[in-house]
Amino acid sequence: MRKWTPYFLLIPTFIIIVLFIYMPAGVSLQTSLYKVLPFGRGMNYIGLKNFLKLFSNPDYLYSVRFTILYVATTVGITILSSFLIALLMVKKIPGVRFYRTLIFAPYAISPAIAGALWTFLLNPVVGHVSYFFQTTMGIQVEWLTSKPYAFYAIIFASVWKILPFDMIFYIATIQNVPEEILESATIEGASSMDRTWKIIFPMVSPITFYLVIMNIVATMFSSFAIIDVMTKGGPGQYTTNMIYRLYLDGFYFQKAGVASAQSVILIAIMIVVTMVYFKVGERYVHYQ
Amino acid sequence: MKKIILITLLMVVFLTGSVALAADKVNVQFWHAMGGWRIELLQEMAQDFMALNPDINVEVQYTGSYGDTINKLNVAIQSNVAPHVVQGYDIATQMLIDGEVAVPMQDLIDADPDFDIGTFMPQVLNYYRVGGKLYCMPFNSSNAIMFYNKTLFKKAGLDPDRPPKTYEELLDYAEKLMVKDDKGNVAQAGITWNLHCWFFEQFMAVQNAALTDNDNGRTGRPTKAIFNSDDGLKTFTFWNDLTKNGSMINTKVHDWTGARNLFISQKVAMIITSTSDVALMVKSAKENNFELGTAFIPAPADAESGGVVIGGGSLWMVAGKPEAETKAAWEFVKFMAQSAQQIKWHTGTGYFPVRKDAVEDLLAQGYYSESPHNLTAILQLLLSTQNYNSNGAIIGAFAEVRAIVESNVQKMLSGDMTPAEALAAAEKEATVAIRDYEGL
Repeated sequence: MRKWTPYFLLIPTFIIIVLFIYMPAGVSLQTSLYKVLPFGRGMNYIGLKNFLKLFSNPDYLYSVRFTILYVATTVGITILSSFLIALLMVKKIPGVRFYRTLIFAPYAISPAIAGALWTFLLNPVVGHVSYFFQTTMGIQVEWLTSKPYAFYAIIFASVWKILPFDMIFYIATIQNVPEEILESATIEGASSMDRTWKIIFPMVSPITFYLVIMNIVATMFSSFAIIDVMTKGGPGQYTTNMIYRLYLDGFYFQKAGVASAQSVILIAIMIVVTMVYFKVGERYVHYQ
Repeated sequence: MKKIILITLLMVVFLTGSVALAADKVNVQFWHAMGGWRIELLQEMAQDFMALNPDINVEVQYTGSYGDTINKLNVAIQSNVAPHVVQGYDIATQMLIDGEVAVPMQDLIDADPDFDIGTFMPQVLNYYRVGGKLYCMPFNSSNAIMFYNKTLFKKAGLDPDRPPKTYEELLDYAEKLMVKDDKGNVAQAGITWNLHCWFFEQFMAVQNAALTDNDNGRTGRPTKAIFNSDDGLKTFTFWNDLTKNGSMINTKVHDWTGARNLFISQKVAMIITSTSDVALMVKSAKENNFELGTAFIPAPADAESGGVVIGGGSLWMVAGKPEAETKAAWEFVKFMAQSAQQIKWHTGTGYFPVRKDAVEDLLAQGYYSESPHNLTAILQLLLSTQNYNSNGAIIGAFAEVRAIVESNVQKMLSGDMTPAEALAAAEKEATVAIRDYEGL
């Protein structure tokens, strides 16, 4: 009996995972091979045509390129700036807890609301950011509707949204770096630059690696709300990434087959990312 | 123990009560896409209906935007939980017909001697009739109209009673209405309309131009887009010219509210938007102390005379429901199409009354002399030439075609493409989408 207890306790979780993750994934895999007509009017088996069409569709290829650029920039900026801010946040300065709370606030906001907030701030006519630029520099920028500003706006909002998550992890890890190591380094004559980049940064590398993976997932998938609210993928598909393209095809144009093919591609990418995480992570990252 | 008995008893009473309640009432679910204050208005109309029909219970549900509603319907149909009545938007008409999800409204009308479709406006019926058959009940109809700020016209030295009628005039007016600050930034622009393909469609129709072959898909299924014409180019060039000299502000895609706010805050002097905004605009102009004007949407000076296309939504009755429910749903749809409800809906929102007798009643009540802007809106529709071009295109892949046009317009506005290139690209991509949908 005892042998079966853990399995018994796992059943609820399994039911949910199978129902909401494996089954939909399986159905996606199946529908990706069909041309699906709206309203359940029918499905025609077309083999790999959906995939072939996608890879010969310049719009889709653009969205792939844009996703890579967007993910790389967002994750890069987020990791670096959250590490630097975390370094400040572990200093024993008055009111540090208050600042931590302030900086953590964006994480608690849903992406759609974050997008709405930035849409308002960046409004070229009545937005505060635009007002600031107009009064101080005398320039009027259409943040969400022109190139390349729409890209900057999306990056900025995404970084602002993910940064607190990374920062909390960094604060916790940096506080765990043993004082003795830093002290002995100081005695040996290491500058604060050396201590930061040659001791602290390598010692927090496992968490950096974890955060990079988490951020890639977040920017690839959760970026939907920010893009939908802020730019709707515009101007002219300029900020349409893979997940937004999928939404357009699946839920706006009612082309379930093509959208499923796109989700299969996304699943494949995530499998690769996770495998890299497990394989490379163990080999190269320094664990204490 | 006592507690448990009590709770059980209560539950039994409650359950039997609700079962009894449900048993003698027919439930009709109604999904709609009208946000804001219109949710309450529709709820109110449903209450009125239930007061008259105590044996029918109408559940009104707001299901998000038009696109979201179609999405939900798509899923609901496949899992057999679709509502009885659903509001579908103009461009989903062909897709809904192809989906065979609905009881064709024509069949119900033909079977009901009490209902006279002849009281409906031909302009509206012409839009929703496909292949001579009416599939849905026209409900909320609108089209594009130009609102302008007479106060700003006077400031710029323009005659407030002479709004621009042609592209050429509008270009000239918009430039005169543009005010730049000392740094060269645009402090007040001439015109705006939100970045939406619907306006392109309206501009094409008023020039009597078609979007697709087979008479806008009305004499046969469309096989290709044909809007890369002289009329199309004039419209793209017009849009581009206005933007390039700074006299037009473009919003992001489908940002109705953003464009409206620019006009209400007097940052732009003219706006082309939906007639469903008339009530809101009149109120906002009063609050912001400016005099409001309305005009027909412009066309090039040398354009053929055409007309505006009906937009908005209609009521669809989902097929495959038990007979009693379908009957109840039909009663509800009929009620919503009655003159009194149409007047209530029209005065509460700005969407047209879709019936001739409603317009007649409003006229007799002196409504149009008190609300001249509603008169502009209805006259623009009534004076429209009725042909395949002003009846609007019927395209299965319309949502995708719209996104394609919008995307290429943006590429043009950002300077990546010339108007001619953008138009050609839009037509080519739209043809691919149409052929893909049609399985060609």
